[in-house]
Amino acid sequence: MPGDALPYTCTLCGCLCDDLEIRVESDVVAEAKGACAIARPRLVGLDVAPRAAAACRVDGREATADKAVEAAARILAAARAPLVLGMARSTNETARLAVALADRIGATIETGDAESAWPRVVAMQRYGSIGATLGEVKARGDVVVFWGCDPATTHPRHFERYSLVGSEGRRTIAIDEGETETTRRGDVFLKVRPDQELNLLQTLRALVREAPLDPHRVVAATGHDLAALQDLAETLQGASYGAWFQGALAGRGPARLAEARRQAVTALVRELARKTRFVALGLGEAGNPHGVEGVLAWQTGFTPGVDLGAGFPESWPGESSAAERLKRGAFDAAVVIAGPFDSARSTPDGGEDVPSPLEGEGGRRPDEGSRSQGLPVAPLLIRPSGAPSPSRGEGGSWIFIGDPECDEYARATVALPAGVPGIDESGTYARADGVSLPIRALRASGNPTAGEWLERLLTAIGAATPCVRS
Amino acid sequence: MCTLLIRGGRVVDPANGVDGVADVWIRDGRVVAAPSDSDARADRTIDARGYVVMPGGVDVHSHIAGSKVNAARIMRPEERRGDDRVVRRRSGFRSGTLGSVPSSFATGYQYAGLGYTSAVDAAIPPLGARTAHAEFGDVPVVDKAMLVLMGNNHLVMEAVKAGDRAAVERTVAWLLNSARGFGVKAVNPGGVEQWKRGGARLAGWDDRVDGFDVSPRQIVTALAEAVDALGLPHALHFHGLNLGIAGNWEQTLEGMKALQGRRVHMAHVQFHGYGGSPDAPADFSANVGPLADFVNAHSGITVDVGQVLFGETTSMTADGPTGHFLAELTGRKWYDHDVEQEDGCGVSPIEYKDRNFVHAVQWAAGLEWFLRVDDPWRVALSTDHPNGASFRSYPDLIALLMDRNLRDETLDRLPEKARERTGLKDLSREYSLSEIAVVTRAGPARILGLAHKGHLGPGADGDVAIYAPDDDCRRMFAMPRWVVKAGEVVVDDGELKAAPIGRTLFAEMDVDPEARAALLARLGASASFHPANFAVGPDEASNPLGLRAGARP
Repeated sequence: MPGDALPYTCTLCGCLCDDLEIRVESDVVAEAKGACAIARPRLVGLDVAPRAAAACRVDGREATADKAVEAAARILAAARAPLVLGMARSTNETARLAVALADRIGATIETGDAESAWPRVVAMQRYGSIGATLGEVKARGDVVVFWGCDPATTHPRHFERYSLVGSEGRRTIAIDEGETETTRRGDVFLKVRPDQELNLLQTLRALVREAPLDPHRVVAATGHDLAALQDLAETLQGASYGAWFQGALAGRGPARLAEARRQAVTALVRELARKTRFVALGLGEAGNPHGVEGVLAWQTGFTPGVDLGAGFPESWPGESSAAERLKRGAFDAAVVIAGPFDSARSTPDGGEDVPSPLEGEGGRRPDEGSRSQGLPVAPLLIRPSGAPSPSRGEGGSWIFIGDPECDEYARATVALPAGVPGIDESGTYARADGVSLPIRALRASGNPTAGEWLERLLTAIGAATPCVRS
Repeated sequence: MCTLLIRGGRVVDPANGVDGVADVWIRDGRVVAAPSDSDARADRTIDARGYVVMPGGVDVHSHIAGSKVNAARIMRPEERRGDDRVVRRRSGFRSGTLGSVPSSFATGYQYAGLGYTSAVDAAIPPLGARTAHAEFGDVPVVDKAMLVLMGNNHLVMEAVKAGDRAAVERTVAWLLNSARGFGVKAVNPGGVEQWKRGGARLAGWDDRVDGFDVSPRQIVTALAEAVDALGLPHALHFHGLNLGIAGNWEQTLEGMKALQGRRVHMAHVQFHGYGGSPDAPADFSANVGPLADFVNAHSGITVDVGQVLFGETTSMTADGPTGHFLAELTGRKWYDHDVEQEDGCGVSPIEYKDRNFVHAVQWAAGLEWFLRVDDPWRVALSTDHPNGASFRSYPDLIALLMDRNLRDETLDRLPEKARERTGLKDLSREYSLSEIAVVTRAGPARILGLAHKGHLGPGADGDVAIYAPDDDCRRMFAMPRWVVKAGEVVVDDGELKAAPIGRTLFAEMDVDPEARAALLARLGASASFHPANFAVGPDEASNPLGLRAGARP
């Protein structure tokens, strides 16, 4: 709450900066000390007067909470092919209950952005991953690589807080399609065409492995002289602690090759780790996709998508995707747990862009920001671009738990108003490096949290023992 | 008030010197003396005549939560697909998956299904405590506790370097308090920091950690002293140098000597008792004898074994260089995650094969430990789950301890070279039922300093496992007929019927506010997070139960 001595944790990009100082005057955020250019306009000016409770809705009409929960429970109890999705900004505490609900009703549950999460997870399943908490990079890093990403634009405080770009004894290498703010601030800029990213990664691995290479083929495959790449490989191997940062899709190339790129990065880093210490990290995505993925994994054994329809967890890449089933209309009931950043307004197929301190600018991936104008906030899709909009009577019934100002709120079969984590709700989020941090509310909300709604739904449908906290 | 009477079973309660037919009364979750009124009736009576009644099992060293465990789950979908690798949802219970690292709810169910009611996660970095506590909240039935990694902690090493005992104590108390941890763990002290720095491997007790200029000997002795000075229930829990490396028995012995006179628990000693030399892997052997002799002669030392059993499992360790070594050895996928200020973890799949010379020697070495340490109270049963094998295979291990023929049969099919490198064939000892009760519950509880666990005397936790006697010891311990947790019958007639959440045990520490502020300021100078967000809040541990430091028996 405002006025507390505790720092504020910003959830607006993957940095999850937990050191902001918020000053409130007359129920408005007057100052957000430490906030970056992305966060500042979204925090300063935010109305933090206590929020009145919004009304639940059933079939487009206002309803009491009891009636709405009853209607939702009836839908879920009868569902044969339910989905649970969204959650990209849910707290870990909410996620635990969401998985409990999915387990109880035999749903397919999926978290976050399928397009980037699956390749990341599947690459780890095949090859593992070699990483660290950001403090290790801060304390030890002497060679830092930014691969096809532009944190100077998308994660403005990354340099200051974690990668310490520009500090003494630290060499920064930016590898990207074209110049960005990050490449301008780095010591070395290496240009790579998106369609040659994989070739470059594999060539670097071969060089670190000291495999003989044909110089002509290297030029053809990567657009670079063998000698130049040899220099780069030397720099990487010469690190005492190297860190390789990448965005959600591990480069600028096509999304369908994201998994291959991730594997190639891990393979390169594993090769480097035979000679020195080297790690690869994601810049991280806004919200809490990493925390929710972790919860899903500990409760079911799988992530980021799990099909609980058979009565036990199953997960197959390309199969167990709630977003995909939604797109195909292969569901009869869906629970969408979302915040305002997930709203239709901030998705590519959403409506008119209405300025709001709580609203993201949609349509771009966080790591693509530098290629376009403006300061992006991750849109964190609840459905793939071009997916049908949820609406009553189409495909299946919708239960929406989230911000009453979202478009979905009016369109859902049952809509349950919930506060926004990090604005109305406290809890914990995980950073991309797995570090779990408290997030703190800025205002009192008259609405329950998403987790409280989930508890009520579980009770109403006679749930399995949910997780207990005391 | 709710009473349970377990009537007429053969009560095997070695902590109280009991092995005979008796009744056990439980009221409001705790064992009580039998009522003086002989007509007294309980709310429920279990007719245990013909059955063996033991305290609930206590696992002193296991890996059941935290980033390493969850990474293993995410990385290994291949071992959780198929009908026999899942836990199906049924009314009142959650579904889950098994493999070598079961999902959280399944972990609790599976432990309970073996009659275990307490489990300690032995390797949580302070920064990972918040997540691990959240995960504990989804591990039902068993009581949980975590050991907090401190053997490579920067602030600890600085205090050690300064030779400031009080500062070491303050730092240990603060870390334990911040993590809501139960005990102190040191993993390859200084060696993980050294690896992160790219320095020469720390192989000896007096090698120096670059940048801190301290030796493993100094770190371990300082931590062991601090643990004793703070009066923690459990001794320093120590994972030694050179894990898994041929010839490491010498450093293990030297370590025990260095700690002489101080309490210490040596973890997964099986991995630390090898002969041969790193340069001549073919000379690899089990060299448990001299180590077990030393343990036998020094009552302050306890061990758990970390038994290897043949099959597919997952290695996971906070000992980053060892994790890397293993992954390179097997060439399989590798998860590695360095954690600032302290250790990190390495995870990799591994298959222990009975045809593999080294694996066969490791299997025999573990059993040698059980059979060569004379006092069962000082050797706890563990597989270092999931490193040597899953905890789910404890009944197989129990059977090997109780049945020499079973050991010999296995030994016979191992490579001849391996048979020559172990003294197992000469060990005829067979564990009695009472000794099994010691190494699986009474002993671990005493080692952990948990006065209310591991026995069935008045005041003990109402945690009980009731087994049907069986010549097939594996079958006997794999399927208890009843399991009682805090007075509630959770396994009834062989079936899991309830899954209460269990407690999270932690050591209550007093931390001087000024010391805390000073330590946080130093942490904040290098951390990637705000120091105010370091400590796990009082409401973040699941169903917590604080145990007062200084109250150890």
